[in-house]
Amino acid sequence: MVPSARWAIAGAAWLLAVAAGFGALLRYASTPAPQDAAPPERWPAATTLTRASARPQLLLFAHPRCPCTRASVAELARIMGRFHDRLDARVLVVQPPGADDRFADSALRERAGTIPGVKVSVDRDGVEARRFGAVASGTVLLYDGSGRLLFHGGITSARGHEGQSFGQQRIASLLTTGRADSDQAPVFGCVLFGGQTSRARRQPHVDS
Amino acid sequence: MSTADWVTAATDVIVQRANERLEAHRRALFEGTDRLFAWLMAGQWAFGILIAYFFSPYGWEGKVRTVHFHVWVAVLLGGALSSMPIALALLRPGWWVTRHVIAASQMLWSALLIHLSGGRIETHFHVFVSLGILAFYRDWRVLGTATVVVVADHLARGILWPESVYGIVNPEWWRFLEHAFWVVFALAFLIWAGRKSLREMQQIAEGGAQLEALAENEWRRASVLERTAAG
Repeated sequence: MVPSARWAIAGAAWLLAVAAGFGALLRYASTPAPQDAAPPERWPAATTLTRASARPQLLLFAHPRCPCTRASVAELARIMGRFHDRLDARVLVVQPPGADDRFADSALRERAGTIPGVKVSVDRDGVEARRFGAVASGTVLLYDGSGRLLFHGGITSARGHEGQSFGQQRIASLLTTGRADSDQAPVFGCVLFGGQTSRARRQPHVDS
Repeated sequence: MSTADWVTAATDVIVQRANERLEAHRRALFEGTDRLFAWLMAGQWAFGILIAYFFSPYGWEGKVRTVHFHVWVAVLLGGALSSMPIALALLRPGWWVTRHVIAASQMLWSALLIHLSGGRIETHFHVFVSLGILAFYRDWRVLGTATVVVVADHLARGILWPESVYGIVNPEWWRFLEHAFWVVFALAFLIWAGRKSLREMQQIAEGGAQLEALAENEWRRASVLERTAAG
């Protein structure tokens, strides 16, 4: 076989490998995390979370070490930069069952704590996450002043990818006009409960 | 042979020699730049793995961690992206195919690094830095290959996943042209500088050929004088 033919075969194999690699990357980045059935339509009576005011309340459930959720926190900062005067926000750092307190100490938790207008608290054993039906890190719930669910889903466009997203647009639309083309968006993030996703899905929601 | 014929023959020899010197210079330039890119490809591979490890070392499911998909992508896809250019640069330096494969791979590295860094806007600078380094070849065709890859990547992702390219969900149809404008803007100057540099290389080659001819002439005259003196 002449050298050029060998290089041509190697080149074709190379192109295939590169195309397959980018295809896999695109697929991974754009595949949402498993979604729970539905979060409570009303602010749960059983929750220990208190509402600071009658303003809309935004909750972000975050796995403390999920790299994808870094982008969600960055997008939350952008949302708060625009709507801090008409929104209360809280980041719940979910400490999975069996993990010690140090598990929740992370750069992500620190970063969330620096966003003006955002309260950060640790959700031990993911009690509140289960109560609100969140199974994936990066899940955002927006309740209006009366406790009615307005939006649930993610605020990034892909796994760990910063930039505009449908979730972010819908939240902005709800806060400015009271309407949006949809009340949900896909969530891109790690699973909050290892090996317990199915159990979390079976957990009944507490509606008030 | 008349004087006019002698001058024409001498000029032809000098022109031929100038072309040979230019080709040798260009070949050395291509081979040197190929070697530079071989190092750069290896460096980018290591850098890609570091970025993946730094930004997203593990994927999590509760408290159970696994090596993150990005780390595997950096190792395997990054390795694939770099392997062919490195092999060509080491085994076939100076071959025209080598520099075009390098150009394509370099622009795909931009796409991969943008992914691995979570779409950071700063990582998009890699595209323009790469065009600048590819201009070292002083061959506009190489920049053409790089541009085709960038355009194809933007077109494909603009259709499939616009926010990863433009940072917004519903870009206007002309958004693609805005990105293309800045690439063309950079290319215009790089191609101009490359052609100017090529002309200078040609002048150096012609000057060198003339000097060679003069030196050879002097050597012949000295030889004749020496033979005459010895006789």
